[in-house]
Amino acid sequence: MFEIRKRRTAVAAAAIGVSAALALTGCAGGGSEPAATYDPNEKVTLNFAFWGNDVRAGLYDQAFAAFNEEYPNITVNSSFLGFPEFWEKRQTEAAGGGLPDVMQFDYSYLRQYSENGLLLDLDPYLGTTIETDAIADNILGIGVVDGTTTGIATSTNAWGLYTNPKLLEQVGVAGYEGGGSWDDYADWMKQVTTAGSAQGISGGTDWTGRIQNFEIQLRAEGAELFSEDGEPGFDKARLAEFWEQGAEVRDPAITIPQQRLEEIYPLSGFDAAQTASELTWDNFGAGYLGNLGDSFTELGLVAPPVTKEGAKDLYLKPSMLHTISSKTDHPEAAATLVNFLVNSPEVGAIFGTNRGLPASETQLEGADLGGLDAQIRDYEESIQDRLGDAPPVPIVGAGTLEEKFRQIGQELGFGTLTVDEAVDQFFNEMDVVLNQ
Amino acid sequence: MSTIEVDRAAFLEGQIEPQPRRRRPKRKTVNTVIWFVVLLALTAIILYPLVWLVFSTFKPSSEFGQNPGLIPENPTIDNYLKVFDGIAGTPLWRFFGNSLLIAVSAVIGILASSALAAYAFARIKFKGVGVLFAAMIGTLLLPFHVIIIPQYIMFQKLELVDTYVPLILPKFLATEAFFVFLMVQFIRNIPRDMDEAARIDGAGHTRIFFSIILPLIRPALITSAIFAFIWTWNDFLGPLLYVNSPEKYPLPIALRLYNDATSTSDYGATVAVSFLALLPILIFFIVFQRFLVDGVATQGLKG
Repeated sequence: MFEIRKRRTAVAAAAIGVSAALALTGCAGGGSEPAATYDPNEKVTLNFAFWGNDVRAGLYDQAFAAFNEEYPNITVNSSFLGFPEFWEKRQTEAAGGGLPDVMQFDYSYLRQYSENGLLLDLDPYLGTTIETDAIADNILGIGVVDGTTTGIATSTNAWGLYTNPKLLEQVGVAGYEGGGSWDDYADWMKQVTTAGSAQGISGGTDWTGRIQNFEIQLRAEGAELFSEDGEPGFDKARLAEFWEQGAEVRDPAITIPQQRLEEIYPLSGFDAAQTASELTWDNFGAGYLGNLGDSFTELGLVAPPVTKEGAKDLYLKPSMLHTISSKTDHPEAAATLVNFLVNSPEVGAIFGTNRGLPASETQLEGADLGGLDAQIRDYEESIQDRLGDAPPVPIVGAGTLEEKFRQIGQELGFGTLTVDEAVDQFFNEMDVVLNQ
Repeated sequence: MSTIEVDRAAFLEGQIEPQPRRRRPKRKTVNTVIWFVVLLALTAIILYPLVWLVFSTFKPSSEFGQNPGLIPENPTIDNYLKVFDGIAGTPLWRFFGNSLLIAVSAVIGILASSALAAYAFARIKFKGVGVLFAAMIGTLLLPFHVIIIPQYIMFQKLELVDTYVPLILPKFLATEAFFVFLMVQFIRNIPRDMDEAARIDGAGHTRIFFSIILPLIRPALITSAIFAFIWTWNDFLGPLLYVNSPEKYPLPIALRLYNDATSTSDYGATVAVSFLALLPILIFFIVFQRFLVDGVATQGLKG
């Protein structure tokens, strides 16, 4: 008994020691006073947050080192997480008033954060602290919500069609040329699937599971998925028609069966070298090459099928933006950092296309693009004729709807939903999201 | 192995047993064999994912989509080498150290504070004990998500974000009602005779707590320590919200950093680091599982 008591005392002492130590470290991390006027030589510390993996973290470290050579007075504390965790943390911080000073930002959250006044109005800094000469107007326009600029796009990407030349060579089918009609694309996939049936290779994936394919069809007809006010640009009949197109492509003689996709999730059929083509954003290429492994060294990148000849169905989307918290104590320093990250040629040289194809011309010139990077740049140039204005900044809840669309696509693939049921489900979900 | 042993035991038994009872052991053997086959099959099904994880740590990243099977086609230890290099300049042991610091502090905090609170609830009659006890139980019903934001604002205003204080301090304040309740129930089952005897000998609350109660609730303390350790070790949301600097991340956050939805995900490194993160808790569990069962089993008993 005595022994136990002694141990307890030791535990209690340790407990007090630990809490005292923690209290001390806590106090040491004190904050700084807001600066009333801007002093370019003032010592400033900025918090910066981004999502990405350790490769990107290394690139950002290099970029901050270059930044500090020019601005030794600004210290950048950076923090990074995976994409879903990044947003979970931001949502809590937004509610608690603790957003980092400068953030790497995603298009789908821009409206929500802007409308809630969480992001700094960047208009006063445009053309002064943040140089805009090298950024095209339609790209600057991407970060405007309700007439206020709250985000600057770092880089752009466009919808494209990736193909796997090595697999195509194996099955002996020529690569898809790009463009053509949706039927041409389906015919081509059927040809690949037939030729590759022995090796278990399919031509592609059922493209009606991705809302972006629906979007480019709507854009070709002059409509949009959602207007600025959140009104859908399509009715039940149009959505049903879209998914009916899928009923034809969902044939295992044309595309990979949903069952096999499920087995390799979160990888896609294209990642796993089971399909020879995939419609997706053009910045996914590096990820595909990484997942495919060393035996695959190149990819094909061509334009998606055309819904209507001459229509401007494609658009440049920001792969990410930079924003500043409206509660930052050092807006001027934060804007300086954003300018450096968006425009500086050094940053372009460091990142290449890690964050997408640089939006600013000065940064693009600094980037030394080779291989796939150059391919993406050439692709975005090649589709100039099909590029229209970007759609309005996504409505609040756009991410939820995109995910719902994908899930319904899966169920259609399994045959557990009919097209009519699927349409009803999606409209119900839309009702909930749009009227919340 | 076990089946053979059982067979042999039954065989020996059959020889020794008198004639008329010879048939019974035979049927017993058949039953035992069936049981073992069923149990082994179930074990295999349950353990397969874990075995798959272990084997997969030797697959190169690119093999994950192309070879969903158990055996790696091109076995490699690169995943481990990469993982031991750490993430973005922070070595792997640092993340282990962070997790260990948080978990050990939490265990100490929970044991120290919950035992004291439980003693007060179970043995001391003070004004409002019923209401306070009900309030404490009430916090068990409160989903964590309700208090995330207010709690964040509090720690944010105290400028304690990006320290471990928000993760550890609450544990020292007996906020984990589950453990307090567990210990209260345990103390209530200890006969009061001992307290009373001690009191007659002149012991106060401090003396009774340290000399009588604390030694007697040892099984409850051990159970709590095990649960507290496992829960804190696996906690994801707490550190995600309160820790900003990558070098302060505990393991559950760090192991997500190999996986990025928007660029390349390193699946090989992800499974390797997941497996390593699993080891301490597996060892902890194997070492302490005897106590865990003891702790739970004695709870229903009086005295």
